[in-house]
Amino acid sequence: MITSKKIVLLGHFGVGKTSLVRRFVEDSFSDNYKVTIGVHILKKEVTLPENQVNLIIWDIEGNEDITKTRSSYLLGSHGFIYVFDTTRKTTYENLASDLEHLKTTYNNVPVVVVGNKSDLVTRSHMKENKAYFKPVDYFSSAKTGANVDTIFEELTKKIIL
Amino acid sequence: MFMMNENDKLNILKDILLTDDREYAETIANKIKALEEVLHTRSELAGKVDPIIDSKLEEFIEEIPKTLGPTITETLKIEIKNSKDQVVEALYPIMGRMIKKYVWQEIKLLSEQVSSQVENSFSLAAWKRRLKSWITGVKEHDLILSELGDVSIEQVFVIEKNSGILLGNYAKRETIDKEMFSGMLTAIKSFVEDAFRQKAQNLELIEYELYHIHIQSFVSYYIAVVVSGQYNTPLKNKLQDTIFKFSENFLSLMLYNPEITQDDIVNELNFYFNDDHI
Repeated sequence: MITSKKIVLLGHFGVGKTSLVRRFVEDSFSDNYKVTIGVHILKKEVTLPENQVNLIIWDIEGNEDITKTRSSYLLGSHGFIYVFDTTRKTTYENLASDLEHLKTTYNNVPVVVVGNKSDLVTRSHMKENKAYFKPVDYFSSAKTGANVDTIFEELTKKIIL
Repeated sequence: MFMMNENDKLNILKDILLTDDREYAETIANKIKALEEVLHTRSELAGKVDPIIDSKLEEFIEEIPKTLGPTITETLKIEIKNSKDQVVEALYPIMGRMIKKYVWQEIKLLSEQVSSQVENSFSLAAWKRRLKSWITGVKEHDLILSELGDVSIEQVFVIEKNSGILLGNYAKRETIDKEMFSGMLTAIKSFVEDAFRQKAQNLELIEYELYHIHIQSFVSYYIAVVVSGQYNTPLKNKLQDTIFKFSENFLSLMLYNPEITQDDIVNELNFYFNDDHI
């Protein structure tokens, strides 16, 4: 039986949330940045060894302050993907407190933390920001496709378990 | 005896030798004169030249699609692409007039239909309508309009309230992706309800040209019914009654069997919302 699950992508403006969804759903990438206004909804089926899950993906507009994200978009979510831009410190310097906010407000909802645009950073940059990157589950690149499918599959597994 | 002098002889000799040439020269002179007349008189010249030009023009016109057609089409395409705003600007008044004419015709048709209904005001149907109006409190003209309207239930969605996940759906014909529609409708509904900061109030209706989306909210789910045609108070009442009946049954199904499948809900929707029941 196929079950449907709602997942929401969170994070600042321009971190690559829409690009990650596009890479995952349509296997495409564009360098043209178009800001997401409101919400964009797409879906994709994920097949796990024992389950088939219909992911309803809510790609919401970016927000610099997670507490100001429209709560009605987040209600009823089965999973979150928190995305930041590995090249822009402003998008990850509050990572720990943002994750704490998600944990306290949406207690049982699983979260996958993703550092996107990993193709644009050097090893030394990664070392320098090691402390900030501690809670990161995956580093991804919507441009090259690195880890994109894995992120969504991993979240689906966390939701189903 | 008549004696000829030298001059007479010479003249006779000239006559014998030059007569043909003179006649020939005269003929040529006449022809040149006639030609000059033709050339210098517009009507005369037109009579001669126009048929030739007409025939050449006809040939040219016949050849236009082959010779100039592709170039003209390409040029027009480029011009339209480069000046979309101007094209819209130019078409707008024409479209406006067409729409106005269409709306005027439709209103005229409606007015004629209403008049014909009023003319039959002493028929049995009219007395029935009056009685219905008196009992239900719905105005008689609303009942007349509802009789004229061609109402159809296009789609029904049962949607989980917060997540926007589709629980079940009835559709007369397949259109857009129903799961994405449910998500987007939930997002719009949440946005509107957030915008007015009225948590206790719900979005109840969305109008889109000939379509109306009637929304009935419950605690954990809501039902969206897409209606085409005349959406008015009597229809709204009828629709609400059907939704409540379905909801009662749906809730009891959920209580009896929490593992209710989407197919069960779809069967219920088909029973309540196909055209025979509305």
